[in-house]
Amino acid sequence: MLLNVNGEERDLAATPAATLLEALRAGGLTGSKRGCNHGVCGACTVLLDGKLARSCLALAVDVGERPVVTVEGVSESGLSEVQKALVETGAIQCGFCTPGFVMALTELFLRRAAPARDEIRAALSGNLCRCSGYVKIVEAAEKLAGGKR
Amino acid sequence: MDYIAPTTLEEAFRALETEDARCLAGGQSLVAMMNLGLVAPAKLVSLRRIASLRGIEKAKDGGLRLGAMTTHAEIAALDEGWLIAQAARVLAYPAIRAFGTIGGSVANADPSADYPVALLAAAAEIEVTSAREARKIPAREFFKGLFETALASGEIVTAIHIPAQCGKAAYEKLSLVVGDFAIVSVAVVEGRIAVGGCTPAPVLLGAEKDAAGLEFMNDQRASAAYRRKVLPEIIRRTVKRCS
Repeated sequence: MLLNVNGEERDLAATPAATLLEALRAGGLTGSKRGCNHGVCGACTVLLDGKLARSCLALAVDVGERPVVTVEGVSESGLSEVQKALVETGAIQCGFCTPGFVMALTELFLRRAAPARDEIRAALSGNLCRCSGYVKIVEAAEKLAGGKR
Repeated sequence: MDYIAPTTLEEAFRALETEDARCLAGGQSLVAMMNLGLVAPAKLVSLRRIASLRGIEKAKDGGLRLGAMTTHAEIAALDEGWLIAQAARVLAYPAIRAFGTIGGSVANADPSADYPVALLAAAAEIEVTSAREARKIPAREFFKGLFETALASGEIVTAIHIPAQCGKAAYEKLSLVVGDFAIVSVAVVEGRIAVGGCTPAPVLLGAEKDAAGLEFMNDQRASAAYRRKVLPEIIRRTVKRCS
């Protein structure tokens, strides 16, 4: 099955019932994590057609021509601004949820140059961190937003 | 499993004639249920390429026609005076709102979902279409019970019709965390009070039905006793916002 992932056509092997998450991971893109596998945790978050999406709730076969961006595709080289902000703030504990948070913040900063705290919290409302590192994650986003004001 | 993505309703009706075929709308509930092994459709008929199911139209009388494939994010972007926009704004999370659709949610009829209770209070009608006919079903007749609706075999939810709204509306939800399904939710508009999350289908309170007389559900989110206790306060808050 041909999918447009991170700006290139990829031939991903997937059964008809496979989710986009399963197809991505089977194709070697293992940055998106399988947490709950039913849309609650946000660890599998990607951009689908430019919008924030749960890759575990999209069927690979239903993606069609719509472009997909995974955490592997958020920057052309090195770390993206969002990733740097998370690293510099120490907003990571075990790291399992981090790819999802990177995608949620990437989408937010594409939409809003300098989001306010409320907007940051709303944008992150669908991502769970079981180490409970939300304080640092929000702080990282606020620093990044602050630097753009 | 077979998969087909027709571009017209006629093709979709033909595809649905297969036994155990199901419509795939935004997939935010159906794919989750498939992943959990709760359903295994023989065939999925994706509705996402059918242009006539998309879009929001303002009716001549001031009401709204929401195409079944309108996403929660599109509904949340309506003026927040609309009861349905208030419900869409607190429905799940950004990623779910970007793809989940009102038609999918309505057809799924989760007792703790946000739209059924809001549509009941709004006196909305659900437009359903089959290969033979289209009909409009009032929300109070559409939601029949736990994941149970008035949809007949071969019918697809094609649109939601919301009448013009006079005066203020308010939607309040009590949930464990922001965006979760409701423990209790209350929708109020034009003096009509509807209660969700408490009973297998949302209920309109009125002369024959008061909040104390409901047979409350017990589920993983809360006990019946808890729901009975908190509901009057949530009703009070919602009604107050309308005054």
